[in-house]
Amino acid sequence: MPVARTLTQVHVESGMRFPRWRPGAWLLLVPALGAIGAVSVYPVLLGLWLSFRNTTLSSPDDAFIGVSNYQQLLADGQFWNAWGHTIEFTGASTLLETIIGLGMALVLTERFLGRGIVRAAMLIPWAIPTVVTSKMFGWLFDGQHGLVNYLARIFGLIHTNINWYGSPEFALPTIVMADVWKTTPFMALLLLAGLQTIPRSLTEAASIDGANPWQQFWMVRFPLLAPSLLIAAMFRALDAFRIFDLVYVLTGGGPADSTEVLSTLTYKNLFSALQFGYGSALSTLMFVTEIIIAVGFGIFLLKRFREVKL
Amino acid sequence: MHFLAAICIIKMHKNAFPHDKSDPEPSSRSGIDNDDPHPARLVVDSDSGLNRREFIKRSSMALAGAAAVSTFVGPRRAYAAGAVEVTFASAKFYGRQTMAEVVNAFNDSQSKIHVTYKELPPPSSSTEVHQALVQQLARRNGDPDVFTLDIIWIAEFAGAKWALDLDQYFKDSTSDYFTGLVQGCTWQNKLVALPWYVDSGMLYYRKDLGFSAPNTWAELIASAKEATGSGKVKFGFLWQAKQAEVLVCDLVSFIGSNGGSILQADGKTVSIADAPAVEAVQLMYDLINKEQVTPADVLSWDEEPSRRPFTGGEAAFLRNWSYVWKIAQSPGESKVVDQVAVAPLPHFPDKKSAACLGGYQFGVNASSKKREAAVEFVRWMSSPETQLRFATQLGLCPTRAAVFEQPEIGKEQPFMQQLKDVFLGAIPRPVTPKYPQVTLALQSAVSTALTTGKVEESLKTAKQKIETIVKA
Repeated sequence: MPVARTLTQVHVESGMRFPRWRPGAWLLLVPALGAIGAVSVYPVLLGLWLSFRNTTLSSPDDAFIGVSNYQQLLADGQFWNAWGHTIEFTGASTLLETIIGLGMALVLTERFLGRGIVRAAMLIPWAIPTVVTSKMFGWLFDGQHGLVNYLARIFGLIHTNINWYGSPEFALPTIVMADVWKTTPFMALLLLAGLQTIPRSLTEAASIDGANPWQQFWMVRFPLLAPSLLIAAMFRALDAFRIFDLVYVLTGGGPADSTEVLSTLTYKNLFSALQFGYGSALSTLMFVTEIIIAVGFGIFLLKRFREVKL
Repeated sequence: MHFLAAICIIKMHKNAFPHDKSDPEPSSRSGIDNDDPHPARLVVDSDSGLNRREFIKRSSMALAGAAAVSTFVGPRRAYAAGAVEVTFASAKFYGRQTMAEVVNAFNDSQSKIHVTYKELPPPSSSTEVHQALVQQLARRNGDPDVFTLDIIWIAEFAGAKWALDLDQYFKDSTSDYFTGLVQGCTWQNKLVALPWYVDSGMLYYRKDLGFSAPNTWAELIASAKEATGSGKVKFGFLWQAKQAEVLVCDLVSFIGSNGGSILQADGKTVSIADAPAVEAVQLMYDLINKEQVTPADVLSWDEEPSRRPFTGGEAAFLRNWSYVWKIAQSPGESKVVDQVAVAPLPHFPDKKSAACLGGYQFGVNASSKKREAAVEFVRWMSSPETQLRFATQLGLCPTRAAVFEQPEIGKEQPFMQQLKDVFLGAIPRPVTPKYPQVTLALQSAVSTALTTGKVEESLKTAKQKIETIVKA
């Protein structure tokens, strides 16, 4: 922690215990604080405030109703249904993307002919707008004319076409597949960056000591990669939790609510039904769940950093 | 910070090109052109690699671009000084002419009123149009003065007192319009919107397959089985069951064709779990699972995915809106030119056919400070001459009986006259100010019924939910 040390030195040298009150410095901070307050703090607080009201845009209702939105929400089967799907989606997609991304990163960190081209090409799925990805997967997994059904039939994997988006068993897994295809490159990129920071000398030393490649990975590279891995997974999980576009374009939450996630449910309540109070309560609970996920990862990370330090 | 800034850029772009017609396809109802629900996300995805300098450069370019565009495409011609400024917001429609051109024609026709047109997303993105309008109207600052609204929003807009009571202006001329539409535009005995164009669900069928238009569902099932059995087509009957608004449109015509309803005329009594409705939803389930004339894929299909196999020559029957007619008759897009006919949807024995009423109407903002000018504009937009123009140039079916008979329509859009009876039989979706909540409950319940087969149970759940909604 070189920065911290320098700061302490400065404090010691100038004989100061606390930073002096400098109006000029605070003045310089005002634009940044103002901007953050206006676009981040204020909307969150406004959302929280709305969640205690029965505001519905299309009716004159607009009164404080305490926690009854939350009571109603916790008793609402649709909310728990969407909550479950969101957790399912977040878990499955983050896990798959981390594992496949790690594999890709391990390949791409090795030297081989055309590595530069492969690294660039790998990012293409991630650069494609999600709505385009959605349309593409809509066609690929089309129940009647989709390429996936066609290939599976040719290779004898299935006898009759699978109705990917029209059946509750397949719809959510298909959306997970689309997300994995799109976002794995992002994970691979983050992990590749993490791998690059591990000095080659360490793996070389391990190999001189007689470690096989598997041991080199598990004993040397993986522990050093773990912080990057956790940070990448946290980013991914928080992002996956907000899944909206794929569901919105592909299934609209159906069939039989089997792909309804918190974002689409919130959108429907807020912008179709115009129930701003109820919808805000929903998004507040979503926010709380996100914080729990972030804190979970944070604790894990902190533990990791302490271990490294010791 | 890139993320936030990118949103600003997007906003600037959007404001800079309000009339941008990036979409050359004429099928304005098509589901594929849905506006992206998350525009900011896209830009962040592709731009997040920018460094600060490059970013600032691009932002300033966007700013400069915005300024340049507003200079060039701003008010194209000067209008008479002292003209009353009226704003008009509408969903995007176009054919041979655009809405903007029609508005300009009004501006050119007189010098007292000048209308500024604000374009909203196309009607296929109906939720976004609704959202944009509601956000404006809820401010109650009189902007926009005139707007177009989907038939399903009438009660909501009237209940919220966003739509002006038009009785004093148009009471005497309502008899010129189709009665069903005037009823659709009426809320608590007050005319709150003026009919613009009408659309409805209808049955398309292949007349080359050797059967005539079916009167009952049993006839349709028999013909569909015969057609698929002979191997001439892959599918019998296509319709839409995606968990979306279109499912409610299909639902209304199935239930209506058995003499049932979702919500009674009093707006409080829920009849979705009564015998006629249960039978109708059971039929929807049976079409897929028992009779197997409909592929289970319809559970994720809205209008366009169901239209494509039909115009591709793969299906015997299709339920869809009037826009399909034009596509079915154009050789570039259709394999069934001249082989398609249109009929009212079938019904249960001894019951009547029912089509789901659609279309957009004109409304005047109740907070408008320029009522007289706004009403004048609406009067012009809904006049026989303008309706004829909308019909021939934009393909929108007139709502005035007299306009339907015009020879120009017979020449330009012959299908409209053939479809007149279908339009006249159309019935509205549940009329209640809480419709947006009601439709979500219906979509969820009916999608569950069709997927799991638990028809009665699902409809009972829907009944309870809807009762809570309309009583609140």
